[in-house]
Amino acid sequence: MMTQNNHNLLGPALLTILLLLAPLVIPVYWVMLLSEILIMGLMAVSLNLLLGYTGLLSFGQGAFFGLGAYTAALMLQAGYENLFLILLAGMLVALLAALVVGFFSVRLDEIFFAMITLGFGMMFFSIAHNWLDVTGGSDGLPVFNLPSLNLFGFQLTFYTPINMYYLVFVVVLIAISLLWLIVHSPFGLILKSMRENKQRVSFIGGNVKTLRIAAFAISGAFTGLAGVLFCLFNNMATPEFMHWSFSSKPIIMSIIGGTGVFLGPLFGAGIFFILEQIIIQYTENWMLFLGIILIPIVLFFPQGVFGTLRNKFFKQGSK
Amino acid sequence: MKKRVLSILITLAFVLVSVIGAHAASTVKIGFTYIMSGPFSAYGQFAKQGAELAIEEINAAGGINGQQVEGFFEDSTGKADVALRAIRKHVYQNKVDMLIGLDSSGVAKTVVPSIEKMQTPLIITHAATPDVTGSVCNKYTFRISLNLAQNVKAAALLAKETGAKKWTTVGPDYSFGHQSWEYFEKYLQELNPTTTFLPKDQVAFPPFKTTDFSAYITKVMSSKPDGVFISLWGGNLIDFVRQANSMGFFNADFEVLFSLGAATEVLTALGDKMPEGLWVGTRYWFLANDSAMNKHFVDSYFKKYGAYPSYNAHGAYSAVYAYKAAAKKAKSTDKMAIVNALEGLKIEIPTGTIEFRKGDHQAVTDAHWGKTAAAPGYPHRILKPIKIFKGQDVTPAVSETGCSLGAAM
Amino acid sequence: MEFLLLNILNGLSWGMLLFLIAIGLTTVFGVMGVLNFAHGSLFMLGAYLCMQSMKYFDSFWFGLLVGPLCVVVIGVLVEKYLLKRVYDRDVSYQLLLTFAILLVLDDGVRMIWGSGYHIVEPPAILNGIISIAGQDYPVYRLFLIIIGPIIGGLLWSFFHFTKWGKIIRAASFDNIMAEGVGINVPLIYTSVFALGTWLAALGGALAAPQQSLIPSMGEKIIIESFIVVVVGGLGSFPGAFAGALLLGLLESFGTVFAGRLQMAIPYILLAVVLLVKPNGLFKKGV
Repeated sequence: MMTQNNHNLLGPALLTILLLLAPLVIPVYWVMLLSEILIMGLMAVSLNLLLGYTGLLSFGQGAFFGLGAYTAALMLQAGYENLFLILLAGMLVALLAALVVGFFSVRLDEIFFAMITLGFGMMFFSIAHNWLDVTGGSDGLPVFNLPSLNLFGFQLTFYTPINMYYLVFVVVLIAISLLWLIVHSPFGLILKSMRENKQRVSFIGGNVKTLRIAAFAISGAFTGLAGVLFCLFNNMATPEFMHWSFSSKPIIMSIIGGTGVFLGPLFGAGIFFILEQIIIQYTENWMLFLGIILIPIVLFFPQGVFGTLRNKFFKQGSK
Repeated sequence: MKKRVLSILITLAFVLVSVIGAHAASTVKIGFTYIMSGPFSAYGQFAKQGAELAIEEINAAGGINGQQVEGFFEDSTGKADVALRAIRKHVYQNKVDMLIGLDSSGVAKTVVPSIEKMQTPLIITHAATPDVTGSVCNKYTFRISLNLAQNVKAAALLAKETGAKKWTTVGPDYSFGHQSWEYFEKYLQELNPTTTFLPKDQVAFPPFKTTDFSAYITKVMSSKPDGVFISLWGGNLIDFVRQANSMGFFNADFEVLFSLGAATEVLTALGDKMPEGLWVGTRYWFLANDSAMNKHFVDSYFKKYGAYPSYNAHGAYSAVYAYKAAAKKAKSTDKMAIVNALEGLKIEIPTGTIEFRKGDHQAVTDAHWGKTAAAPGYPHRILKPIKIFKGQDVTPAVSETGCSLGAAM
Repeated sequence: MEFLLLNILNGLSWGMLLFLIAIGLTTVFGVMGVLNFAHGSLFMLGAYLCMQSMKYFDSFWFGLLVGPLCVVVIGVLVEKYLLKRVYDRDVSYQLLLTFAILLVLDDGVRMIWGSGYHIVEPPAILNGIISIAGQDYPVYRLFLIIIGPIIGGLLWSFFHFTKWGKIIRAASFDNIMAEGVGINVPLIYTSVFALGTWLAALGGALAAPQQSLIPSMGEKIIIESFIVVVVGGLGSFPGAFAGALLLGLLESFGTVFAGRLQMAIPYILLAVVLLVKPNGLFKKGV
């Protein structure tokens, strides 16, 4: 059990400063990649609230990501330009959907939970794919204008890659900090102990089902927030975001990074994107090489790359 | 402990820098974005072959405005967000002067708004959705290939000739299939007001992942139509043709039009299993044009790759030449100058002379239809007779496209 | 009426194909507890190797015999060197490992046979058509409808009437106990995975005359086979049969009744079954 209170904040602080300064040194394309890494990282960290902390493998996160993206796209289309309103609305829609899906799904465990969330996710996908009038059908919705932010009388727009990066950075930083607080709150600790032993939690008075629904809804809401950012970043919302193959991305990232460490999934997202960029540089058969690299990661890094390395170097017992 | 963190970060930074390593030479750079991996990578491979042939030829002949051409190929995987990332890499990392590519309609439609922000001209060579030169058109986006509206207009002209009265469809259950049917209904209704069409719940839209079409074949056959308009493509089309053939679909008493049936990858896979005498359409047909240019293209493509060029190879090949012509006309490779030069550009490509319309940036290009026929000496069915529908006869007026380029400028 | 009959036949032939893929998946899960994401790739390999074998000896039956056996060799290697190491790991690691294997197999096939489409001809004797209810119907489909239950029946007898079958069933209930009574569990795992691989590959070879071959053909079918297996009840033999037929028929009739909802049919079935019977229609028990 992790009960030590000396949470080492040096690493995260250093990382924040690095991310803050990165755009000053790295080329524009990599700034954009970094934006994507942060967005997918937020999705993965949110997923890990379920996978790593609650022990639930959700294969339907794409639905909430997509709901966030579609909410943003539709609001922009309708002429809403208030950034906060759009971010909150995307989160809220995803939260409501996650409450409903969670209500039906959390009674199941393990592979059954994975399958039912996959099923619900694909139902959302089917709706997005077929509801031509609202979602634009399989083509998805192109987005033409972005919200702007009125900062102390100064109108901030996000049309340049650097501005977009800082928007993503700030939102992801706040969201991940909130998630960190949740994970380290009593609620987060109960989730963790529930993962170890379901009965024990019900003995000490926790309602397992309610707790799981709450975790699922929180995870869904932050996933929706990541979806809003992805829509703003890419100027689009497409049904692909809701497909199970998209839902599998944060799972892969979390496992690569390590599900036992809070920031593991974020690093997993980074490793995943950088790996992809390197492989793509040399070969069109990137799927083959991605597979060849993933196999030893699964076999030899039982706590993920980041988690295993951290344990090796710092000899901290995780979990 | 802190040192360890630092050393890890520094190593990581070095890895990054070595990956980033940028090119620097005074070449003209073209960024190609196609599906290079996954289920539809065959389309990307064709396009890459066509593009590489064109670049080779142009470089051997002295390049574009005296500069050598360098091609960059990125994988769209057929997904909009990945395609956009690839395009960003072209623009910001490879620093290309020109973008060419895009296979999927959905990708094209959602990526196009960002093209305008990156202020880099793009010639689309495959994606067929009318919207990219219609409702979401912009100043930087052009298309050299036949679009859905043009191809379906030709189908409707053909359908009218057959005299069939009651029509139904089999199309993939996504925008392309549904739009194809809507346009077909609209055009054929205009051409022949007495035609009837089965309502939406009686036509067949198999989901894209379908491999077993028997239920759809049964459905269409039992609805007893006079004509069936089919917009399936690729693997769906191959499976449909074989299963339909074994269920007696082609012996039944109705006309069948395949809007994308004359794609060489489909004809090659089917070989002599493709029934003869079916009406099939395509964006480009390698035997349809006797011009010296087409002969040269087909011969050198065959020599280099051992196959006849598909429409996608033709699209990429022609787009490179269109870019060359635009650069010559503009006497520059400046992006804005290229956009202005491409507008209204008239150029001969293997399929014939085309013109990028000023109003919507769609190329006015011919549609090809023909009947499948066995031909000794070819590895697949060819078209005989061939029916060519002239570009000006099948391209809808700019006012019908929903594109407001002319008005906004 | 004839329309009804044809749709039932269509649904059955599709369902039987799903069944062949699903029994391999469910047997492997039942015994080893591993949900194999790469099962669809083994299906795909079966189709490709069937096609390849036919190039040496131009007979579909030869391809049907040799192709799946070649895939079994690959399957055994995968089990012995990779899967073995994750049996006691969390299900998400198993999924990720088998997903990585899927990537390698699919892209490997693309490197060898190219990304284009291939077709396989059905054997001459099954290539004909037969008149059913006034409409032509392909003989090959009827063959699929018949072969499914035959293979299923043979497997069922194997598990219930042979010593090996009984041992495997014992191991699937409790592998520690099985080891205790002197059963060689690792050997059983390898043979069961080989059996599952063979079934997937056989399904691929049997599907080859029906559908075009591309490297991703397994990805199309894997989720549907997962659904069949979960709906039927993980590890359940009759469950896989019932699940496959149910899904096959629902999809077939869905083309007529479901309209634009047909895409969601498998997922609605999945959710409804899991909500009503969380362990699937049939309880566990190979």
